[in-house]
Amino acid sequence: MVIQLFWTFFKIGLFTIGGGYVMLPFIQKEVVDRHHWIEESEFYDMIALAQAAPGVFAINTAIFIGHRLGGWKGIIACILGAALPSIVIILLIAMCLTGYKDHPTIEAIFRGIRPAVVAMIVAAVVRMIRNL
Amino acid sequence: MVYWLLFWSFLKVGFLGFGGGLAVISLIQNEVLSHGWLTQTEFVDIVAVSQMTPGPVGLNCATYTGYMATGTIAGSLLASFAIILPSLIIMLTVCFIYDRIRDRWQNNKVFKIVMRIIRIAVICVIAHAAYTLMTPASFIDYRSWIIFSVALVICCIPIFVPKRYRWAQALDHPMLCILAAGLVGYLLYA
Repeated sequence: MVIQLFWTFFKIGLFTIGGGYVMLPFIQKEVVDRHHWIEESEFYDMIALAQAAPGVFAINTAIFIGHRLGGWKGIIACILGAALPSIVIILLIAMCLTGYKDHPTIEAIFRGIRPAVVAMIVAAVVRMIRNL
Repeated sequence: MVYWLLFWSFLKVGFLGFGGGLAVISLIQNEVLSHGWLTQTEFVDIVAVSQMTPGPVGLNCATYTGYMATGTIAGSLLASFAIILPSLIIMLTVCFIYDRIRDRWQNNKVFKIVMRIIRIAVICVIAHAAYTLMTPASFIDYRSWIIFSVALVICCIPIFVPKRYRWAQALDHPMLCILAAGLVGYLLYA
């Protein structure tokens, strides 16, 4: 069970790009539809609580599910599964990118990206105001 | 002692980061800039990379910032650990309470009001983060503002177009947006 939990969250952590809300449907598919570990109504409760709590949303969800299914071992398995791919990939990128930071091509690409990132944050604010 | 400060900063972010990835990012921004660990431009780049790589955006950002602030793997692991720790404590408490009040909590009036206040505060925090990121370093000329405006319009389309229009929802894709912006940057500036 513990290994299965780890593996499930590892897959989700490795293949979902864009953060917690993108991970959510994948988590639901694996945990509710495929393995039937948790009932759907309870899953929605979990999501609501994980969202209400501070911190990284996907990690909160992983902790909740790990606790329900495998106690302490489950929690550790789920956290490691969800966090490991992310940490390893980011570390590799951070170490590679620092060497090429001043490369003109990389700099040109990031000149395009920076205003877009700010625009995405503004759009997120617009979305939240609309959903208030 | 930079490691201790880093640990403390991310612990705070973990405890106060209500409202998902961007709220966490704006708190990290606050910590990073106030300690002078990174410049604003460096931080925007970190946010971009965090959104393009797999995994939770807040965690990606913490790992990356920890690495950049200290230049060591130990720093990045420490920041990641520090941001997860509060989640662990809070979620265990939540699980404990949930098991007892299971059927009643969602209709609880006080809970609803508290959640609403938190949500408004979160919006302010994120809006402030966006504002502080609009620096001359990120917005170097008129082309930056064009990229910003186009990206903003595209990102707002899925918000205002009804859900049944699939094409609009397909635009709601952070990685594609960043890749497209990167391509535009390459074409305009390289």
